[in-house]
Amino acid sequence: MSDKARIMAHIVPYYPDKERSWDAARALIDAGVAYLEVQFPYSDPSADGPVIEAACSSVLRNGFRSRDGFEFVREITRYSPVPVYIMTYAGMVFAPGVESFVAAVKAAGATGLIVPDLPVDYDEGVYAAGAAHELDIVPVVVSGSPVNRLDATRARKPSSVYAALRRGITGAQTAIDQETLEFLRSISSWGVRVYGGFGIRTPEQVAAVAEHVDAVVVGTAFVSTITCAVETGSSVYDAVRSFAASLVNCTE
Amino acid sequence: MPELYNDYFGEFGGRYVAEVLRPALDELESAFKNSMREPAFAAEFDEIASTFVGRPTPLLHASNASRALGGAQIYIKLEGLANTGAHKINNAVGQALLARQMGKTRIIAETGAGQHGVATAAVCAKLGLNCRIYMGEIDIARQRPNVFWMELFGAEVVPVTTGARTLKDAVNEALRDWAASFPDTHYIIGSALGPSPYPDMVREFQSVIGRETVMQTTQRGLDVVALIACVGGGSNAIGFFYPYLDLPSPALIGVEAGGTGTETGLHAARMTGEGRPGIVHGYKSLFLVDDDGQVEDTHSISAGLDYPGIGPQLASLGATHRVEFTRATDRESLDALRFFARNEGVVFALESAHAAAEAIKRAPNYPAETAIIVNMSGRGDKDLFITARALEPERWREFLLSEVSGIEHDLSRADAALAAAEENR
Ligand SMILES: Cc1ncc(COP(=O)(O)O)c(C=O)c1O
Repeated sequence: MSDKARIMAHIVPYYPDKERSWDAARALIDAGVAYLEVQFPYSDPSADGPVIEAACSSVLRNGFRSRDGFEFVREITRYSPVPVYIMTYAGMVFAPGVESFVAAVKAAGATGLIVPDLPVDYDEGVYAAGAAHELDIVPVVVSGSPVNRLDATRARKPSSVYAALRRGITGAQTAIDQETLEFLRSISSWGVRVYGGFGIRTPEQVAAVAEHVDAVVVGTAFVSTITCAVETGSSVYDAVRSFAASLVNCTE
Repeated sequence: MPELYNDYFGEFGGRYVAEVLRPALDELESAFKNSMREPAFAAEFDEIASTFVGRPTPLLHASNASRALGGAQIYIKLEGLANTGAHKINNAVGQALLARQMGKTRIIAETGAGQHGVATAAVCAKLGLNCRIYMGEIDIARQRPNVFWMELFGAEVVPVTTGARTLKDAVNEALRDWAASFPDTHYIIGSALGPSPYPDMVREFQSVIGRETVMQTTQRGLDVVALIACVGGGSNAIGFFYPYLDLPSPALIGVEAGGTGTETGLHAARMTGEGRPGIVHGYKSLFLVDDDGQVEDTHSISAGLDYPGIGPQLASLGATHRVEFTRATDRESLDALRFFARNEGVVFALESAHAAAEAIKRAPNYPAETAIIVNMSGRGDKDLFITARALEPERWREFLLSEVSGIEHDLSRADAALAAAEENR
């Protein structure tokens, strides 16, 4: 293991536009993130915080379609071997048929799919479709979830688990306390890769979580970085790259 | 006996929510099942229904209207006479009592037109619960009078600035709040939709409409051939139809918003062609979504009918043809509103006027000794600003202008008094 932190960087395709979202993706890869999580914008993202929600809304206003998202992912996977996870909501996965959506995820070269509102017992067959297409379907669990929910998730035998470090929605600041770390340890004991995040935005937070997970998920902070670069008229590539580097190198 | 808790209705329903909300819904499911078995809970509901809501609501024989149309006798279930002006209060009362039983001290709700928000705020005032209402920024601008009532009842009305800034976005915002707050907070959804157990629970609380209708029509020995209700999310319709679902008759007719046309964005009709299966707001049903699953724009003159989805039980009853769906346009609804006002001295809410429009179309097809029951889910007072603007734009404009100048006069006098007081010090 290197002493660099493994980051799963969240990105919204076409935010703020096609070209600069591609710049952001390259910047993340060039800075050495371990994974990309590409969120397909959805009209009713009830688990997103205001920053990601606003980014997704603006992309939708510009006419985003699912096929644009798949094309974006295909370009990334051609450019780099960094594994890509697609994240979106049940409405978008269900619309073309779960099986077709999963096939398209696979065809785009993605490694896996995260759909927070398809819980393991209302999954619409996404886990079976994932198995058929050798795609990693990643359940989302939450710190503080009751034991019966964690058991139900574990029974699905996922290879990766997305661990939300607190209740609520993305965006707000998260405190990394003893309870959080115990939660991460208990999920890791399942023998799965754990991607942990929610409200992570500083190198200090990354450093506190990194050793307990396979990768630290950072979302809102990257979207904010892009928004800020756009507003100040500076380079999205440079802003994203230097912020990503500060997180990746936080353990040095 | 129909089931209290179904989760799915045919292929529709379910609980498609992120894990973070799961404990809240699991807890709600068991609280709901337990309370509905407790006679004490039913007694509490009945007590507040009679003394605070004003139940039972009357069943009016619309004899003049029936004579004018020829054909079946039209009866109107006057739900609009309930406190706060619509059936929404039945559900708000039921859920607020349940919340209190669960030890919750804070209530959140979404509202579009404001009717559900007003009902919820009123019940919270009565039961002493903290209340926060999420309402789209655009709806706040369109429905200021209802915002005024909610605040008068002590609720905090929070403008929603995300997405389309309307009802569906208010639902998302309420869900976001609940994801962090459920240990002390209950979310009162305003229609028979959302993740389970909401569709079952809201139907149970609204079925008081149907039970009274059975009693009132039986007492009068009516030969009921059809029940007609408007359908937004579907709560007044499912509550009204409920006791009849397992019977072969009467005909059960749901009327959706035909708006101003059949193109996308001009209506909110999901059950007569345009709706597609989808998953939105935690449940599977028919929605106005595009082929990527993105929710489309809707329109109706009645703010309560422009939600893009329909409750899962009604979607299923449409698929099995037990409930027949049709639509009424903005124009037809306004005409129906005027017709019943003139003939019967009752003003339908614009939502309910869609059902009234269907009664006007159908009554002549039935013999005079039969009865059609229309659910007037709300009364039209709340729509004054919309109805008057649509029916008498010139005179209404004059009135509003004179109101504005009156207010300006008051304010400038107050300013002058303040300035004078300053000077005297
Ligand atoms: C008077 C009235 N009727 C009907 C509706 C539509 O809702 P539902 O279909 O749930 O009865 C509303 C919603 O605001 C309403 O205010």
